[in-house]
Amino acid sequence: MSIIGLDPTSGPLPGRDTGRRAAPRPESLDGAVVGLVVNGLGRSEPLLEALYDELRTLVPTGRVVKVVKSSVSVPPEPMDWERLISEVTVAVAGFGG
Amino acid sequence: MLDDLAVVIEPEVSLLGGGLRSRTVSALRAPAHEYVDAMALMEDYYDRGWSDGLPVVPPTPELVTDFLAAAGLDPDHVVGTVPTREVTVTAEHVAINAVMAGCRRDYMPVVVAAVRAHLHEKANCHSTTGTLSGAAQVVIVNGPIRREIDINCTSGCFGPGWRANATIGRALRLVVRNVCRSVPGFLDRASFSTPARYSFCFGEDEEGSDWVPLSVERGVPEGTSAVTVHSTMTMASALDLTSRTPEGILDSVADELRTRGVAGDAWLGDGSTVVLVIGPEHRRYLVDAGWSKADARAYLWKQLAGATRVKVAKPEGILMVAAGGPGMAETWLLLPHLAWAITEPVVIGPPNGGSKT
Repeated sequence: MSIIGLDPTSGPLPGRDTGRRAAPRPESLDGAVVGLVVNGLGRSEPLLEALYDELRTLVPTGRVVKVVKSSVSVPPEPMDWERLISEVTVAVAGFGG
Repeated sequence: MLDDLAVVIEPEVSLLGGGLRSRTVSALRAPAHEYVDAMALMEDYYDRGWSDGLPVVPPTPELVTDFLAAAGLDPDHVVGTVPTREVTVTAEHVAINAVMAGCRRDYMPVVVAAVRAHLHEKANCHSTTGTLSGAAQVVIVNGPIRREIDINCTSGCFGPGWRANATIGRALRLVVRNVCRSVPGFLDRASFSTPARYSFCFGEDEEGSDWVPLSVERGVPEGTSAVTVHSTMTMASALDLTSRTPEGILDSVADELRTRGVAGDAWLGDGSTVVLVIGPEHRRYLVDAGWSKADARAYLWKQLAGATRVKVAKPEGILMVAAGGPGMAETWLLLPHLAWAITEPVVIGPPNGGSKT
């Protein structure tokens, strides 16, 4: 006798199950506006600033847009997302915890 | 039998191989799959990443419908959301995962309350289940439901051996994994994670203590069952085998809190919490000296003055639970991740229209 089992999930996992992938990378950072997403953990702000300084020695980037989260516990505020989406070419957010 | 439960199997939509067929069940929203037997189902659930690595009970439409009835909830009742993940958790999701975890039907209202608590905004599901630190979600049960479903509150209460403890904690974690999408390597980024993420549920030893239960201190009426869900990043024992006074025991607890630190930040405001689970060997010296939880909390608060790494904003943020068995003179500190501990009453039916258990 067969048995029926129900799917326990809320749907496919974006990326893993749906083929959604990371955004395409620009061919060059020449003139790019670089976003820095600072989450407030540890010394994330000077770390990302130093990373940007290093980047500028390698590539003539455009300006920098820095977003500092209001708290380590939560995502950036909607207005910060809007700034990132509307202004930057690439963003760096690599400091976790 | 399916007709008896008013669950209608729609025409078969595909053959999945190995005797598996995919179908849609109306009334219940979840896609359904047909297997040749329970072992085939379990193997497929493993392959799909729907298990925590342990075997699961097949979530058949009959069992899921029965669990929903036990909770007094419609399948599409919204238990909570995770806005950052665009996830809505329904009672059906909870029931499916509770069946899979091995729960009995009468555990279902407790599981629903635990999921509801965990999905409170300040319980911070997104952060506490995605963090590199691998925080675990502990479910603390109060009230008469503990005895009714045999929740262990005494010796060995953090460990294995009790179905209710094991499966209620597991059900919450399966919801976190399968519905909230905290899958290791995907939205669960834990570097090591913790075995406490398989399951972590225990009850307060209300019969072994004259103290006011945690849930009552947090505003739930006496005699009403409740759960408190707390995301804990680190567990530490304040082991003190020699002190024989409330002050000596609580000084040891304060030392451990100062050393370990208690997480908190601006977003948590003054609601940050830490949970202290006080075993009977420590408890008796406090009780014999006439100290209530409030007395112990007031003393600890004084001892923690100036402890900059302890980010608890007010004395009420120190939550105390009587639990554990005799022998070892210790108090366990369940140090928080970035979240409040949230207490929810256990109800049958929707939270504002349901009956208290």
